[in-house]
Amino acid sequence: MKPENKFSTGRHQEQAAESQSAESLAAHTAAHEFQSVEDLLRHDAAQTTVPPEIARRLSESIAQPAPRHSWWRKLLG
Amino acid sequence: MNQACAETQRTEAADAQLLPAELSALYTAHSRAIYYLALRFLGDSQKAEDATHDVFLKALRHLNQFRREASARTWLYRIAINHCKNMRAAWHDRHVFASSENEYFERLPGGESPLRILETKELGGRIQKALDGLKPEYRLLLLLVSDQELSYEQAGALTGQTADAVRGKLFRARKAFAELFQKTE
Repeated sequence: MKPENKFSTGRHQEQAAESQSAESLAAHTAAHEFQSVEDLLRHDAAQTTVPPEIARRLSESIAQPAPRHSWWRKLLG
Repeated sequence: MNQACAETQRTEAADAQLLPAELSALYTAHSRAIYYLALRFLGDSQKAEDATHDVFLKALRHLNQFRREASARTWLYRIAINHCKNMRAAWHDRHVFASSENEYFERLPGGESPLRILETKELGGRIQKALDGLKPEYRLLLLLVSDQELSYEQAGALTGQTADAVRGKLFRARKAFAELFQKTE
């Protein structure tokens, strides 16, 4: 399935609605003014750094054998 | 992709070198989206870290299921949403915001100017406060549709509703978020 382009011409009405709500959002920082809630969240996501501890912990966990479920847990789901 | 985004993706690619090849590409491409969803949905950086770890570990152990899916991002989101909902159901501590934000921003990579950190921290804190005030369903929908890789149909499939229902709820979610966000000024 091809994902719908959320910012294609078919979504002008939605974009207008987004902009309307964005007017009341008035999300300003020293350098940014956001056009919609989604823009604000995208900016926030772009600023987010994934802690390097996650990859380190993952590599350690992968080195461990996967936990084995007992036969009765498999049976009972 | 803006500069900050490109920089963080390079960091994630470097981190992913620790991982086996079959997980490394998935981690580089999707770890920030998954971590961000967990961070803002759970509102706690340590729990988001735990959730992201668990999501990718589950993904690795069920890679055969992923190959039947249309989109890796959607598949990982599905695991993450279930995991985060279970985590939320398991703990009832709803007052983690103040301490967790400070902890999160202490982790910003070196080289950031104090002004930049202040701006980011302030904005991130305000976003979290506004999201915390939303119904969990609205919070999740806003986080999902803010990912440009996801269509409304996919967001609907992930939350068990139609794309039209997503559109209707988003309208109310945006309005509620905007009101809450203004109160954080």
